[in-house]
Amino acid sequence: MGKEIINNKSHLTGYVTISVTGSLPERFFQTCANEGIMVWNVKKKSVKICEGTIKLSDVQQLRKINRRKNYKIKFTEKKGYPFFLRRITKKKELMFALVCSLLLVVFLSNIIWKINITGVPKDIEEKISRKLNDYGIHSGTWIFTLDSPNKIQRELVEDIPELLWVGVHQKGTTFFLEGVEKTIVKEEEPLGPRNLIASKKGIIKKLYVSNGMPKVKVNDYVKPGDLLVSGVINENEQDEKEENKEEQSKKKYVAAEGDITATTWYEVIVNVPLTASHESLTGEQEKRYYAKLGNFKLPIWGFSDPDYQSVHRERKETPLYFLKWKMPVKIVEMVLSEKTHNKNKRTEDEAVQVGIMQAKKELKIKLGPEAKILSEKVLHESKENGKVKLNLYFNVEEDIATAQPLDQGD
Amino acid sequence: MKKLQQGLRPWLTKYLAFPSDIMLELPRITVVGQIHVYIENHKGLATYSESELKLKMNKGYVKITGSSFVLKMMLPEEILLEGEIRDITFVTD
Repeated sequence: MGKEIINNKSHLTGYVTISVTGSLPERFFQTCANEGIMVWNVKKKSVKICEGTIKLSDVQQLRKINRRKNYKIKFTEKKGYPFFLRRITKKKELMFALVCSLLLVVFLSNIIWKINITGVPKDIEEKISRKLNDYGIHSGTWIFTLDSPNKIQRELVEDIPELLWVGVHQKGTTFFLEGVEKTIVKEEEPLGPRNLIASKKGIIKKLYVSNGMPKVKVNDYVKPGDLLVSGVINENEQDEKEENKEEQSKKKYVAAEGDITATTWYEVIVNVPLTASHESLTGEQEKRYYAKLGNFKLPIWGFSDPDYQSVHRERKETPLYFLKWKMPVKIVEMVLSEKTHNKNKRTEDEAVQVGIMQAKKELKIKLGPEAKILSEKVLHESKENGKVKLNLYFNVEEDIATAQPLDQGD
Repeated sequence: MKKLQQGLRPWLTKYLAFPSDIMLELPRITVVGQIHVYIENHKGLATYSESELKLKMNKGYVKITGSSFVLKMMLPEEILLEGEIRDITFVTD
């Protein structure tokens, strides 16, 4: 019924239990009820004493009524939120702690806790964070001492040439930086006059000269050091004889440039064993954890020795942090994986194939991605000590030109 | 005039089926088992103690007896009584 509603409401506004003393005290409550005061939990304690509960806000009116009636009224119990609040505020230690914790929250939320840099490679990230440190922006600084994001943005872009753009915004206690890296195109230095000479022996296959005077033709055989493209252009070669005296002045020095592709050859000797052994993990593994202090390791988890034939051990150390300080204790995670040794036997033909593949791969690494292996040939094949010895011959197409600076003083 | 009104009211309730408690200004008493009595439309509290509640009505009193009475709620013309109720008596004077 209605009383639950009354009680719930009065928790917020507060309610008091009063004890009324006088003749026929219950009549007093009836008068109150007639005047519009809500009364509940009325109990008769004795003939002259009656107890009842009213709302805190009705106390004024109750006093007014009692001026006419002359009952003795005592407040026996005060309950509800207003009284609770008053009681709490009276406790100084509690209030002090409350204020302190509020201040702490304010204090902590005014500090940069994290700087998040995204969108740029590690080295630039490092640079940015170093620069930010110079500006006084690092985790642990006051937020209100910082410049506006716009200013930081401008300064960063000015100070780090690799940055094309950086977006700075602050979200709560975290600083977000989003950078875009500038791809720096190096301005080509004007090349000094130079010749192109052969670095390897070979037969010229293609000539593409963009600057300079070609000195060789397609299908010419060249040795290392032979002049391929000359950086000296004699403008009037035809009139050489007639104007001999002016020859010197007409010479022009340029930086010779061009692609000179030649067929070169290589002889490679490879040894391929007929039995190959390799290790592989079976997938069975166990983990162990240690706490490491100095050189002392204390096992934390995983004590049993796995019954593996051979074991591959992998360890990972992670330092422990207290807030931001590294502690001397490290957690070591050791993964013990079971491994097996596999032995494969090869036939001679297989061994030759493997040898060729291997030699090709090595040659490619040596010559770079531009080189093209045209053909390979087994020159000689012999078997000894369980190994196949191969003498291989490769035909390769590659750029053989290297620069040789020209000294103008000569 | 008052006499006429007094005579008219029972007649209205009887023939027009008007609610009798409103028309005749009689208390409506709702009893929940032995534990609750809810009295509306009474004319004031006469006496109240742990074992007895006496309420005024238009003619006479209604008397409720029992034990460990508590008035759970008091509004101008309503009372909710809680306790162990033994009997409800109408006393006309």
